[in-house]
Amino acid sequence: MVSDLIEANERFRGILDRLSTKSIEDYYNPYRVFEWPETLPENMWWMSPDLTSTHGSEVVRDLGEEQLHRLSKYESVNFYSLNVHGIRELLIEVTRRIHTTDFEAPSEFFHHFIGEENEHMWFFAEFCSRYGHKIYKQPRGGNASVPASEAESLLVFARILIFEELVDYYNAKMAQDTGLHDTIRQVNRIHHQDESRHIAFGRELVAILFDDFRVGASEEELRNVERYLKRYVSYSFESLFNPQVYRDAGIEDPLEFRSTLLNSPTRHEFEQRVFRKPLSYLVKTGIFRDKNLHVA
Amino acid sequence: MTSTAPGTIDAVRDWIVGKHPERSPVDQHIDLIENRLIDSLSFVEFVFVIEKASGTSIDVDTVDIDDFRTLSAIEKAFFPA
Repeated sequence: MVSDLIEANERFRGILDRLSTKSIEDYYNPYRVFEWPETLPENMWWMSPDLTSTHGSEVVRDLGEEQLHRLSKYESVNFYSLNVHGIRELLIEVTRRIHTTDFEAPSEFFHHFIGEENEHMWFFAEFCSRYGHKIYKQPRGGNASVPASEAESLLVFARILIFEELVDYYNAKMAQDTGLHDTIRQVNRIHHQDESRHIAFGRELVAILFDDFRVGASEEELRNVERYLKRYVSYSFESLFNPQVYRDAGIEDPLEFRSTLLNSPTRHEFEQRVFRKPLSYLVKTGIFRDKNLHVA
Repeated sequence: MTSTAPGTIDAVRDWIVGKHPERSPVDQHIDLIENRLIDSLSFVEFVFVIEKASGTSIDVDTVDIDDFRTLSAIEKAFFPA
């Protein structure tokens, strides 16, 4: 029972109290805090250049500055679209658990979490609709997102944490990037501020869920968790390489372009850079044996 | 591994076998989703593989999951004769 694990963990209870208090103290009205200009200039970087999917790759040589700017615009709209979809998925999972017997202990914090995530989804969707005139969709299908097992809550919250850490890497960089438009920096800065609480919570929760799971798990079950989450890391990374983005930016063969980038020698370094913090955490907790994401 | 003919369903079959070599050969009528050859983490890539092999653009808003269940259904939906 997750609540029992938390109740027995004085440190975690203290963290939950502090995070809830901080949520109340830092509360802002997202519907008032942003000033949305009518338009944003087309001829600028919409995303920090070293965060764009083509950074460091050979294909950059074939693209002019104007096309790189256009690409960065659609990549940024894709990034915020991924946020919208990712937040919807995590809201579904957290809402399924709030005030159930198993999750009574973190439910007070879940109220803040759900409220804040709903607001984040709103401002990301607003950005996409205002400046990209769309929210990119992703094909959805296949079996359940998280396979039903004893590890279900562990996998759900580990996925949420990985997703938040990925997004936060981008947010933190773009919030600091003085080359970006103020509106773009503000969206990223505000999200980064709130996410630091959610990430702190996620790290604590995932660690205790894993400690509990591994007590009764076989070696094979532990490896299955590792394999599944490593696949999720790569899946999340690859979702940043959207053929629809390349099509909108005027790239001739979007699928081939995507393939070239994902098979480029720079991919590994880029992926490891983006996930440096969560991979260190996942290895430190014992969920991953190593940081190698591409295992047979 | 069979050799892939461009513009045919073979490219899709080869991609699945590449992911699950232990499940080769993949029958034309086996349910790929029920049998976990395709799950939610591989579905996006799977759609791109079909698009690339067939030259057909797939509208993600109107995807009918049954069109992706078997190689036979995929061939019928996305590889017009």
